[in-house]
Amino acid sequence: MPAVSMTVNGKPVSGEVEARTLLVQFLRENLRLTGTHVGCDTSQCGACVVHINGIAAKSCTTLALQCEGATITTIEGLAAADGTLHPMQEAFRDNHGLQCGYCTPGMIMSALDIVRRNGNELDEHTIREQLDGNICRCTGYHNIVKAIAAGAKTMAR
Amino acid sequence: MAMTMTGEVMLSATRDVVWAKLNDAEVLKACIPGCEELNKNSDTEFQAVAVTKIGPVKARFKGKVQLTDLDPPNGYRISGEGDGGVAGFAKGGATVTLAEQEGGTLLTYNVEAQIGGKLAQLGQRLVNGAAKKIADEFFKNFAATMQPASA
Amino acid sequence: MSATGIGAAVRRKEDIRFITGKGQYTDDVIRPGETRAVFVRSPHARAKIKRIDTAAAKAMPGVVGVLTGAELAADKVGGLICGWMIHSKDGSPMKMAPHPALAAETVNHVGDAVAVVIAETQAQARDAAEKVKVDYELLPAVSDPAKAKNGPQIHGVAPKNTIYEWSLGDAKAVDSAFAAAKHVTKLDIVNNRLVPNAIEPRAALAEYDSGTDQLTLWNTSQNPHVARLVISAFVGIAPEHKLRVIAPDVGGGFGSKIFIYPEEVVCLWAARKVKRPVKWTAERHESFVTDAHGRDHITHAELALDEHGKILGLRAKTIANLGAYMSTFSSSVPTYLYATLLSGQYDIPQIYCEVDAVYTNTVPVDAYRGAGRPEATFVVERLVEVAAREMGIDPADIRKRNFIKAFPHQTPVIMAYDAGDYNASLKKAMDLADVKGFNKRKRESARHGKLRGLGYSTYIEACGIAPSQAVGSLGAGVGLWESAEVRVNPTGSVEVLTGSHAHGQGHETTFAQLVSERLGIPFENVSIVHGDTDKVQFGMGTYGSRSGAVGMSAIVKALDKVEAKAKKVAAHMLEAAEGDIEFKDGKFTVAGTDKSAAFGDVALNAYIAHKFSGQELEPGLKETSFYDPTNFTFPAGCHICEVEVDTETGKTEIVNWTAVDDFGTVINPMIVEGQVHGGIAQGVGQALLEGVVYDKDGQLVTGSLMDYTMPRAHDLPSFKVGTTETKSPSNPLGIKGCGEAGAIAAPAAVINAITDAIGSEALTMPATANTVWTALQRAKPRAAA
Repeated sequence: MPAVSMTVNGKPVSGEVEARTLLVQFLRENLRLTGTHVGCDTSQCGACVVHINGIAAKSCTTLALQCEGATITTIEGLAAADGTLHPMQEAFRDNHGLQCGYCTPGMIMSALDIVRRNGNELDEHTIREQLDGNICRCTGYHNIVKAIAAGAKTMAR
Repeated sequence: MAMTMTGEVMLSATRDVVWAKLNDAEVLKACIPGCEELNKNSDTEFQAVAVTKIGPVKARFKGKVQLTDLDPPNGYRISGEGDGGVAGFAKGGATVTLAEQEGGTLLTYNVEAQIGGKLAQLGQRLVNGAAKKIADEFFKNFAATMQPASA
Repeated sequence: MSATGIGAAVRRKEDIRFITGKGQYTDDVIRPGETRAVFVRSPHARAKIKRIDTAAAKAMPGVVGVLTGAELAADKVGGLICGWMIHSKDGSPMKMAPHPALAAETVNHVGDAVAVVIAETQAQARDAAEKVKVDYELLPAVSDPAKAKNGPQIHGVAPKNTIYEWSLGDAKAVDSAFAAAKHVTKLDIVNNRLVPNAIEPRAALAEYDSGTDQLTLWNTSQNPHVARLVISAFVGIAPEHKLRVIAPDVGGGFGSKIFIYPEEVVCLWAARKVKRPVKWTAERHESFVTDAHGRDHITHAELALDEHGKILGLRAKTIANLGAYMSTFSSSVPTYLYATLLSGQYDIPQIYCEVDAVYTNTVPVDAYRGAGRPEATFVVERLVEVAAREMGIDPADIRKRNFIKAFPHQTPVIMAYDAGDYNASLKKAMDLADVKGFNKRKRESARHGKLRGLGYSTYIEACGIAPSQAVGSLGAGVGLWESAEVRVNPTGSVEVLTGSHAHGQGHETTFAQLVSERLGIPFENVSIVHGDTDKVQFGMGTYGSRSGAVGMSAIVKALDKVEAKAKKVAAHMLEAAEGDIEFKDGKFTVAGTDKSAAFGDVALNAYIAHKFSGQELEPGLKETSFYDPTNFTFPAGCHICEVEVDTETGKTEIVNWTAVDDFGTVINPMIVEGQVHGGIAQGVGQALLEGVVYDKDGQLVTGSLMDYTMPRAHDLPSFKVGTTETKSPSNPLGIKGCGEAGAIAAPAAVINAITDAIGSEALTMPATANTVWTALQRAKPRAAA
């Protein structure tokens, strides 16, 4: 089996994978980073969103081998080493932007990408339009939208 | 779910030549995209294996192909049923008619097909496009057999 | 109110693990030596299984076992059952067909499992599954419930594919009411079939320990104890005491994870056969063809009114599609959870409802958020709205004229409403929604070429499911009480073991708020334990908006017992009479003195037992209670939806949403609002976007998230949410329940708004742009005339 090496949440990792192994499988099964979830099989739901070289991507539609040499950030890599939460994580908690929690890692990773693309002052319309790749079945999005706007603001501080 | 497709193709050969090729397992095998096997059980029945990919679903279909309503050299009905295992199934048929025209033969086809299982579930939005592509490819290959082999 | 007590918007305890990726969902649980299962499923809606050849699959790399329905039958593994008996009008029992976990003889819907392949890895199992050769003999199928009775008979036990022909109410009395009516409104309604689509796909992991003969199942369940009971008592996989069911973090349920499914049965059976842990996690395409779907009613309904718009009677005839097999609670949904709510918030003297439940070659249908009550609300609220329009009465006025104003109120369809103030929620909603300014906004929209409409839904639901005696008399196979155990530790911290299960509802927070306030101890010192049959005594689980009204009431009862016992301990410590001990704010005091003991000291003394003898008092401080409610609870409220319809495209935009709900006592307003938001989103999904389509041969056309439209952020507005409060007299906290309200209220509000905008009642759900545009084209000549 081919070998692959990448940096995940700041740590160099490597492993042997089948050519067809998806990034999400590599993260969940090889690295036991189970915070990244799989919610569908057609790249629709966004529960699997991680950052590849700083840009949000669906890890269910990315081969592990494509990430040779890449820098990956997952939900487990957001909080500081001392456990201090990332402002976007805090914002989701403060605004009740999650219920069952299953879509949440993907939501937070996508939210950070929305901030990267659009800056820290986000209006509701922008957030709603740009959250198109993530499905939440619990919250009706109301509090997710609030959380992202609030988290984006805090990140500017 | 069901789909239908019609089309025609102009072939630069006489109707008798076209008819003969339409009944030649070797020609059909060479022309059917993804065809791995096409074995003659009788003059009107073949056993086929073909690999097809529709959207996210790739399937290796095994099944029987039958020729009915034979009306040489005007046309026939070709029908088949393929079992793609966990991917589902496909079945259907096409009426093929041949008409002599200036410079060759006009082949008209009228396809009805049904797909089921995972193929229908995941591939249905792509199935019309995929079928059209398969048909186009088949007739492109088929038309090529009418030409003398070129260097 | 303290910062963390009842009524406080406390941030959730459970969030920390979810926002850091530390949640433990079933697929995240990894057992040593675990194998992966992939099911071989029927691509046909109905067929006879002639032969299954597993030889090639067994020879594939990594394969541990390939098992078929014939082997399951040979091992005498029992089938799945429906646990609610419904009798037809003629007294005959419902026709429950066998439902083997793996089909051995016939398959009855696309997705019906026929074999399972178990291999070292998921990829190997999937590869091997491709090699399983199944010879089917195709049989004719029926997918349309309207055609089921005349379609090919699916099960030997059910002629005309009819499961039951049930009725509720007095048909003759209703006929007299209609004969006396000045106006009759008639509607034909299709309540569209939905796929629950919790974002966490269902999963099961089974492990067998031959040393102890113990089976453990991790699964995505809303009610692990019920799963254990059914799997033991009916499926017969293992006796109850030898089966542990753990439902760890569960990623949404919405009803779909109540039921006992074939896959968990097969994983348990297979784990013993292959002597390895067996894990199955659904891929989304499997969820579409195996998770119980929701709704799917075809209804003709009529409303009789006098000349003033006062309702005299209501009658409805419904065909309910239950799919290919009867799922766990499927029979109750279109009967006792549906027809019993046809009185809505209104004083309706006579109601009669007939329900024919049918089999079709489709995925089984069972409870989905609201379960029967959204269907009832849609019937009632559409009838009332259309009647108002036909009679030229303001839709708010017709509602006010018919509201029930005195409680308790006995409806003609079983339910006894105990408390409510329907005018209050309507009025508050109208103010919040600025109904007064609507006409101005409508003119403004018209200037931009848009049609604006406003729709009401004044809904009611029966929640807090349910008094055991009552549901037992209606056919339920189980009691619907809840249990709690409050375990006070020697250091004064508390664990609460509850039979309620949380899969997004935030029980770890709200239940802790209750305990913290009641015992006067810090919120941080309370842990909520749930979802494990080895830890929690017993429990009926979470559905029917019951965890607050029933689950928390059980905790209250256990807390009462804890307090009583602690007072005895305190009496010994303070050398006072037990009757003189008062407990307040976490402190035990002797009345009229300054002698006191803190809760923590009393807890410690309960365990060290130095101050009393064993003859006087048992050591320890741990109490259990089983709470059985005395009535359903009746959350109710008013949702107002305002839409703008683009006449060129038919696209509907929801521009305003106002929800005013009466949930009784609210423990955590932040969480309650979240529940309302989510419910509305699912209701709007049903009204605008979601709908299952089967073709005539039983192929599922909307079988992926590419084709089945889930609401996304840009499909929804932000919601205005308010509450009114009349406390439920039926439980100690006065809670009514909030989990399903939005999904129950929303569809009627949306459709009432769009039909108001376009001036045509002929609109089916989902009201996609195409559907609305088509309705607009039909409505045009009338508008022009």
